[in-house]
Amino acid sequence: MVAKNEGHINTLLERYWNCETTLSEEQELRDFFSQSNLPAAWQPYAPLFAYTREEQSVALSEGFDERLKQAMEKEKTGNKEYVTIRIFAPLLRVAASLLLIVGLGISIFFITRQNNNPWFVETYDDPNAAIKDATYALEKLSHALQTTEEASLQTIRVIDDLDIDWSALDSLITDDGELTTDSLAATAQEKNDTMRIGTFISSDKKEKEI
Amino acid sequence: MSNEPFFQIILPIKDRLFRVAYGIVRDQEEAEDILQDLLLKLWSRKEEWSDIGNLEAYCFRAIKNMALDRLATMTLRKTDSIEREREDLYFVDHQSPHSEMVIKEQRLLIERCLRELPENQQLAFRLREVEGMSYREISETLAISEDLVRISLFRARKKMKELLAGYGS
Repeated sequence: MVAKNEGHINTLLERYWNCETTLSEEQELRDFFSQSNLPAAWQPYAPLFAYTREEQSVALSEGFDERLKQAMEKEKTGNKEYVTIRIFAPLLRVAASLLLIVGLGISIFFITRQNNNPWFVETYDDPNAAIKDATYALEKLSHALQTTEEASLQTIRVIDDLDIDWSALDSLITDDGELTTDSLAATAQEKNDTMRIGTFISSDKKEKEI
Repeated sequence: MSNEPFFQIILPIKDRLFRVAYGIVRDQEEAEDILQDLLLKLWSRKEEWSDIGNLEAYCFRAIKNMALDRLATMTLRKTDSIEREREDLYFVDHQSPHSEMVIKEQRLLIERCLRELPENQQLAFRLREVEGMSYREISETLAISEDLVRISLFRARKKMKELLAGYGS
């Protein structure tokens, strides 16, 4: 049988090397070379056809379809998990930029407001007028202070005119430096307005020191 | 959008796609991983199917590119992929006949020779010999002309012939 086909196989093989064989002829060659007792002349080429045959039998492992199914389902549920985020993704960007703009606006507003503080704003164009007004304001303040000082001096004078017995009042103060209720009651009989006078004690003492 | 193309065109060729990936990365797990990546990617982009003229050729092209990308990262990740193949050779049962070892050695030789071929020749050879594709199908898959497919295949076969003839003598 081999002898009968010898010429045929040789031509096929020759055409095979020249890429002139059809797919079915190539299969024929593969089949021929798969036989075990191959004539020595063709022996060297057997591994090539054996190799391609072997490669053809490489297949996916058993669990592949199952794993693929799982991966596909995971992908589906994975999409669901982030569906809200995905919907709002463009809005999130808008929101973020809005927030940034509003924040910037607010901070700019406050910064410019700070610069607008009335105490620091130059309201006078003429420096002379500014000095004039400042002097006027300071004089007014000085006058007010003077009036208060005079009023206080007058009060002191009034107290002096009352002719209070200071030594008696001093004796009311105990060694602890506090007025006792008993002594207060005693003084109340002497003076009509003890409490009012009492309030003057400290200021009077201060004046004595001065 | 119907899922029909996925079940009628893509899924039936998954074994062939797998073999293309396997032919490039030479690792069962990696090849399955690549195929799964591709199928998931295709599944999640249903609306793009209609834009693709030849979905089948597109799949082959895609898996080829993905496998080549993976191969590039694999060589960085591990260097033992070749060694593992050689292991078969080292641990040949001492009782086994001499011829068996010769066959294994020849197989390794073919594999190495194939790997040394330019990418297009390697793929043309694989698609023709293992997948039994026509020249037209290969040209569509590799996005090269039919003439170039023929030339690539011719060179690949010639290299094989020289290798085997040299080994035999």
